[in-house]
Amino acid sequence: MSIAKFLTKRLLQGIFVLWGVVTILFGLRAVSPGDPATLMLGEGASRELIQQVREAEGLNDPVYIQYADYVQGLLVGDLGYSWRSERDVALMVIERIPATLELALAATVVAMVIAIPLGVISATRRDTPADYSATLFSLLGISTPNFWLGLMLILVLGVWAGLFPTGRRPVGLGPAVLTLAETGSISELTTWIHYIALPAVTLGTYFTALITRLTRSGMIDELGKPYVTATEAKGLPELLVRYKHVLRNTMIPIVTVLGLQLGTLMGGAVITETVFNWPGLGQRLIDALDARDWPLMQGIIVFIAVAFVAINIAVDAVYSYVDPEVALE
Amino acid sequence: MISERIKSNLSESFTESLLPKLGVAILICIVLFAIFAPILATHDPTRTGYYDDSGQPYPPTGTSYETQISQDGEITEVAIEPSDEHLLGTNTVGQDVYSRFLYGARVSLVVGILGVLMALAIGVPLGLVAGYYGGRVDDVLMRNADVMLAFPALVLALALIGVFGESPVFVPDPIVYVDSFLDIGVADGMPTAIPIPGTVTIVAALVTWVWFARIARGEALSLRSEEYVKAAKSFGTPDRSILWRHVLPNSVTPIIVLATIQVAVIILLEASLAYLGFSGTTLSWGYEIERGQDVLRTRPWVAVVPGIGIMLTVIGVNLIGDWLRDALDPNVDNSTRGA
Repeated sequence: MSIAKFLTKRLLQGIFVLWGVVTILFGLRAVSPGDPATLMLGEGASRELIQQVREAEGLNDPVYIQYADYVQGLLVGDLGYSWRSERDVALMVIERIPATLELALAATVVAMVIAIPLGVISATRRDTPADYSATLFSLLGISTPNFWLGLMLILVLGVWAGLFPTGRRPVGLGPAVLTLAETGSISELTTWIHYIALPAVTLGTYFTALITRLTRSGMIDELGKPYVTATEAKGLPELLVRYKHVLRNTMIPIVTVLGLQLGTLMGGAVITETVFNWPGLGQRLIDALDARDWPLMQGIIVFIAVAFVAINIAVDAVYSYVDPEVALE
Repeated sequence: MISERIKSNLSESFTESLLPKLGVAILICIVLFAIFAPILATHDPTRTGYYDDSGQPYPPTGTSYETQISQDGEITEVAIEPSDEHLLGTNTVGQDVYSRFLYGARVSLVVGILGVLMALAIGVPLGLVAGYYGGRVDDVLMRNADVMLAFPALVLALALIGVFGESPVFVPDPIVYVDSFLDIGVADGMPTAIPIPGTVTIVAALVTWVWFARIARGEALSLRSEEYVKAAKSFGTPDRSILWRHVLPNSVTPIIVLATIQVAVIILLEASLAYLGFSGTTLSWGYEIERGQDVLRTRPWVAVVPGIGIMLTVIGVNLIGDWLRDALDPNVDNSTRGA
């Protein structure tokens, strides 16, 4: 199978997955209790008004017509209107994307920067105090609920030590960079870093721990292979062998796992945003759930699914380029 | 099934290393806390109470809270500091933090174990069938599994709970029941039933079964070309008994390892859902942390204590999982730790 054919196949599968998600969501909404018109208008609304809204929203149509309308709307990017705020859902999703994206990327950076060196040290100095500390750290990391970790960070580093602010962030990355470009002042950018530090660590800790474990076990496997002995026998410097050859071979399974764990990252973002009052998609999703605001909830989940499928196809594309055998399998 | 070699591997790695022992010790403590919560607790974990600034019960015994509050107006102080009466203080509605810590262990363990058992019941048969028969059955199952694995479990769980409600299930407390005619030392007024978050348990199984299906499929796929399976087939043994008597017993070890890891994952998932307020029971460590968040600066113990409970339980389970994995099966790796 050629790479183009492989990617076409993945794209079709992705569309199938999205169709599945959309249909399941529509089904859940159809069986969920509560009349949408009453939810929109509040308990005290008159019967005539409720009937009017039901008619206008197409709620009196048969279910299959409602489904067709919904899917048709999605195809042109129409996610409907929020029941609570009556705003355009697509807009409500878009305005929250940057904050979540910043958080997810910052957490990934934190995880990579800490975990890979830690895993390498742990694997190359097995059974030393350094290895034990790294193992203990990664055990704690995969065992601590992230919302609790976030609260403890707020308490210890925010409240007691006073090192980090604990309120809602005053500025996003976009405006901060704009200020830098316009006035040359980096003060907004430093504020941004100050505010994102604790959430990024909170979201990133689980992944740091996971990647440390994966790097350690992967490196240990790889270090036992004959080519390592051969290159060392040839007299190549140890550091070069470790970082250029061994680590590179270890990275392949790590990237695979990271792709699989993307869902965990998104779930973690929902929690982290709630803890830190972070103005992202996750917080908006929880608000929508609390208010039973179905169009908003559906819109956010559909967006997450689209993002997920897109990222996975991108990962596959990179893979089939780096390692054409993947596509041929 | 469990061979002599595996048994010796297990006991060898247990005696050689400190960590498995630590894990077993922690988990035994938590399990004992959970079972004997009604005996170990000093207060009814659900009983609210209010206290004045000096830590005296408020209102004084004999008067109801409602009559007293209408005389005195607003009460400012609710969560009180750790004292002889309340070992770990009280939470924001005056419930005993120590007693709630003990009862919280029950919810975490029950949801973790029941969730995994349900996930096993769904995932293992599907995975074995898919791997054994292959072809279209396999394609359909694995395509679905990919969708499930891909989707953020927490988001899916939230959507399902949004539809089906939280439906807590009240289970009679066996210890209190035994005490009612044997007097084994349960204080008066302990709750006679404990709430188990019903939807959360089912949802936990629904979002984790795919991991079991994947593992079982892989095992069945490699076992179906083994000589003894082929031999059984040539005798005309029905597929159902081949799967049940030959394939399943030989796939047991990786499934056990995965099940242990998933208990930890589900405990964390329950805690997260409870923290977000979607668990259906207030006797949950996650819920308690949410309540402590508002008074984090002034009354940190309210959030700190249940968090330590979750952390210790999950560490215990993970240490045992690591031990089993290292001793039994190096093929189940950390990539199966998703939720």
